[in-house]
Amino acid sequence: MSESTSAGSSLGYLKPYRRQLAWGVAMLVLTNVFYLGVPVMTGRAVDALPLKDDTYIVHLVVLMAAFAAATAATRIVSRILIFNAARAAEYDLRSDLFGHLMTLSPSYYRDHPTGDVMSRLTNDVQTVRAMWGAGLLNLANAVVAFVTVLGMMIVTDPIVTVWAILPFPLIYVVGQAMSKRIYSTMRGVQAELGALSSRIQEDLGAIQVIKTYGLEDVRRKGFMESSGKLLQQNMEAAKVRIQLGPSLNTLAALGMAILILSGGRALIHGDMTTGEIVAFSGYLARLVWPTLTLGFMLALVQRGRASWFRLVQLQQTRPEIPDGEGLPLPASDKPARVEIRHLTVKVKDRALLEDIELVLEPGTITAIVGRTGSGKSTLVDAMCRLVQVPPGAVLIDGRDITTLPLASLRAQIGYAPQEAFLFSTTIADNIAMGYGGGSAIPAARAKELETVVGVGKAADLHVDVNEPKVAVATTAAGLDRDLSGMPEGLGTIVGERGITLSGGQRQRVALARALAAAPRLLVLDDSLSSVDAETERKILKNLRAVMHGRTAVLISHRVAAIKDADQIVVLDQGKIVARGTHEQLLAHGGLYSELYRTQLDTDPSAVRTRQEAV
Amino acid sequence: MAMPAASVRSGDEAMLGKAYDLALFRRLWPFIRPHWKLLLAWALFMPATIALELAQPVLFRYALTDHILRGNAEALPFDAGVYMMLVLTQGGSSFCETWFLQLAGQRTMHALRIAIFDHVLAQRAAFFDRIPVGRLMTRMTNDIESLNEMFAQGAITLIADFVKMLAIIVVMLTIDPTLAVLTFLTLPFLVVLVEYARRLMRASFRQIRVRLAAMNAFAQEHLSGIKVVQLLGRSAVAKREYDEINAGHRDAYLGQIRADASMYAIVDAIGSVAIAVVIWYAAGHRRESAAMIGVVVLFIEFTKKFFDPVRDLSQKYAVMQGAMAASERIFQLLDTKDWDGGDGTETMAPSRTSAVSHGRAPAAMQASTPAVELVDVHFSYGAEPVLRGVSVRVPRGATVAVVGATGSGKSTVIKLLTRLYERQLGTIRLAGVDIRDIPLDELRQRITVVSQDVILFAGTLADNIVLGKDYDRAKLEAAAHRVGLDRALERRGDSLEAVVAERGSNFSAGERQLVAFARALLRDPEVLILDEATAHVDPEAEELIERGVAELMKGRTTLVIAHRLSTIRNADLIVVMDKGQVVEQGTHDELVARGGFYASLERTFRRQDG
Repeated sequence: MSESTSAGSSLGYLKPYRRQLAWGVAMLVLTNVFYLGVPVMTGRAVDALPLKDDTYIVHLVVLMAAFAAATAATRIVSRILIFNAARAAEYDLRSDLFGHLMTLSPSYYRDHPTGDVMSRLTNDVQTVRAMWGAGLLNLANAVVAFVTVLGMMIVTDPIVTVWAILPFPLIYVVGQAMSKRIYSTMRGVQAELGALSSRIQEDLGAIQVIKTYGLEDVRRKGFMESSGKLLQQNMEAAKVRIQLGPSLNTLAALGMAILILSGGRALIHGDMTTGEIVAFSGYLARLVWPTLTLGFMLALVQRGRASWFRLVQLQQTRPEIPDGEGLPLPASDKPARVEIRHLTVKVKDRALLEDIELVLEPGTITAIVGRTGSGKSTLVDAMCRLVQVPPGAVLIDGRDITTLPLASLRAQIGYAPQEAFLFSTTIADNIAMGYGGGSAIPAARAKELETVVGVGKAADLHVDVNEPKVAVATTAAGLDRDLSGMPEGLGTIVGERGITLSGGQRQRVALARALAAAPRLLVLDDSLSSVDAETERKILKNLRAVMHGRTAVLISHRVAAIKDADQIVVLDQGKIVARGTHEQLLAHGGLYSELYRTQLDTDPSAVRTRQEAV
Repeated sequence: MAMPAASVRSGDEAMLGKAYDLALFRRLWPFIRPHWKLLLAWALFMPATIALELAQPVLFRYALTDHILRGNAEALPFDAGVYMMLVLTQGGSSFCETWFLQLAGQRTMHALRIAIFDHVLAQRAAFFDRIPVGRLMTRMTNDIESLNEMFAQGAITLIADFVKMLAIIVVMLTIDPTLAVLTFLTLPFLVVLVEYARRLMRASFRQIRVRLAAMNAFAQEHLSGIKVVQLLGRSAVAKREYDEINAGHRDAYLGQIRADASMYAIVDAIGSVAIAVVIWYAAGHRRESAAMIGVVVLFIEFTKKFFDPVRDLSQKYAVMQGAMAASERIFQLLDTKDWDGGDGTETMAPSRTSAVSHGRAPAAMQASTPAVELVDVHFSYGAEPVLRGVSVRVPRGATVAVVGATGSGKSTVIKLLTRLYERQLGTIRLAGVDIRDIPLDELRQRITVVSQDVILFAGTLADNIVLGKDYDRAKLEAAAHRVGLDRALERRGDSLEAVVAERGSNFSAGERQLVAFARALLRDPEVLILDEATAHVDPEAEELIERGVAELMKGRTTLVIAHRLSTIRNADLIVVMDKGQVVEQGTHDELVARGGFYASLERTFRRQDG
């Protein structure tokens, strides 16, 4: 796609507002016409001063005020119309982008850091909006101003006009050249800023080393150097930027100097009147700004198009994992049966899983163990279709999951991931999300965004803290005692990314969320790793009751969690190397027992239990 | 720091007022003050620029009334020449004026950046658990940059605008007081209008700020949690919620657009009316016609120059608001104090080179005084107890191995020993002295930690070993040789001058370990704390590491968080931890004989090794 066609299609977003924009531009034309009235009247009044006609001058003065008022009125209306249209189009664009982003597969986000995507959604959208609003307004204004003002000047005196506007092309050229230099020095500033950011990131990431090794002074010296370089580069940019104003001012003044010369001569020769010269100086002043903005606005449009191009790229990215075309699974509350046949998962030619054969019989518990990076999480991700799986490799209740609508597949599954991700809303809302309820905007926050959510629809998503489905899940996840220690209980708002809760609490809220879904397949990906052993044992005891009537998959580093599983699968480098029960595998030796020693936590309680069993 | 609760946020917003802005300015002043010479230079050039600018219409009037209207064409080239001279010198003066202001601004920002950096680095480790790195970065980069805008086009240029307007009033008054007074009859309207628009905009900006932040936070959260969003099938719901915040964001601008458009247009209109007033007045005094025309022309120009800065006020106001919001966030960070090595009550960073609390005099060192001693130490992260009365004695020259599951509290012991975190109860002694009575710098010099996750900084490997200290090259090479780093580097055809890629990604875990050993060896600490790596390395590297560790530990008091059976067996004392408590301790043989937890653990270990 070439840039010109993509920029063309950016106007598609303005289409719904074309009437509003047309009115805005019409008002803009009127503004410029009325605006001319002021210098015209001024000129006439100056010429009338030596005459003896009071009513004529009063007439002119009143007209002048009327023109001023009309200019103000039309200017206000045109600005409001055009800027509001741009904001409305910005809303549409942002909404489309966000909706699209929500459908892209997790693999997209692996390759594109959140920061980059956020920058598209904020900076690029803003740049495009600036192109639509300020860009459109000022470009249209420049054109209209040139036509009206130049027309008026030519009517007054074509020869003086030609002389006086001679410097104006220069204003444009110099403005363009300087904005290019400004742009390149600004890039230098960005580069230094980037270097400084990396430095800060490095230092903050290594804070414990810096402290324990007493490196504060050394790092400070480096930081000062980097900050100093940024200062220098900033001054470099400032040097160019602050030349701009005086340079352009000088060029514009050249027009005035020429007016003194040629206008003065014309006046002396009787070709021009004093009033016309005064009016002329007014016209010239009115050309300076449009000439300047023409250059700036062209740059703005260029940047806007570059941003638009990036946004188009984003919108053209198709989700790697598309919805299945088949019918959804029929509603059922029986445990699911999952069958995996010759499953191989590759990411960039590297096999994460190779030829996996596995059946999860309904109502059984399967544990997956293996070293970090052995493919455990990929295996459960494959069951949820969070990674691309070949057709026919994963079946749920006999149906190929790639034929199922994603929503239908995921409605069967309750998944508690290792890194418990919570939304910054109440605990109740977070848990209710398991069954499609809850809102990510906490009610308290909604009040702050009053006109937004107050009239909107998100409010009806908020869950009542007394919701029984939430209460059951909370108890099963062993959260009751923690909640009673919080004044707001289930209504407590979880801080940004859950940081007001401890790691263990966070994991248990995520677990409650998975349980609240009343899933037919429960997946726990090391989801109790931050929970202390005692609490974990209690939860597991609860869970056995909860898991009754469900098919479950557990990944855990703790013996206590997995030893009672119906089958344990040992993964190594993406392959199943052993399977069986705890005792079978331990007796067999091999990787399982090695893992048991080095990777599985040497959990005293587990060992104790084993001793008792022996 | 967690995202402040909604109520706190809105409280902040309500506080935003004129007085608040002034208060922020007062706090900024100490950073600006050292650059007063630059500001003085600015203050000298500023009136010169204004004078040169205002001289231009005066010259135009002179050319018109004294030359053009008198038919003196010969003088016109001279007039045009002088006019250009005025313009050029004004340009030069304005360049200098802005240059000095920018320099003052940039130097202030540089100082502020360093102040934030120092402040952040002086905080206790717990501070970094609460405040995300991204936020700290934003304070030191983006926020500083937007604060700088205040110098470039905000508050300080407002001062210049104000001086210019004042000068215009004075000049007009001296030329024709009556006409001047008449012209400025429009001023009260202007003042009312500006104040009204300012209020409108303030309210609007506040709303925009809150909603923009909410919108970005929502998007950020949903993008980083995309996996969960999709697992929960919330894509559509999320879009609906986002649209609402998005709509609120769009609507928040309605007021600002209205205020901005009205302000610009009305100010301009008032300017035109002022010109009309001038003409109307002139009509009544047309007897002195030639002179009057000159005055009218002059007043028209001055009126334009007077109203232009007012017209652009709304833009400057937006910049100011951004700068003030940024400085508010910066000072909020500077007010968050949890000093490293402090007891949580100081307002200033405690000295790192002298002890904070001066308790009892250090106990006399006896041969039996242990190198490190923990007595009934308690610690919790927030509400979660991590250590519940841990007591350990590490005799001088001995190797003590700590064994236990993840979450048993082993690594917390390390953090308390180096005072990254502060124990809540109990005592920790280094060679008989409470570590709180040892200056922080000294403590961290005497205890060196080798963690399993070795962080390498940008630079060469040699830089990473000496870490900014001035060791001589021979010593550095000797240390690299003793821990086997030179052999490991030879294996990959590199030297100590090898450049480290971002976060050391071009070196293997094993190689990084050896670098850490060399670092520690060079520092020659009294007590070594070793967090043994669990990462899997190839057998050859494994052998290098084992030899490196042995070299490092030779004759040194060592506390090791052990993961290898060989390390545990060779330890003089084994401490078994569970759930924040010491459950067993003794030598290998003692513990095996006791037949407790360690014994059963050891059986499993041995089954594999044997």
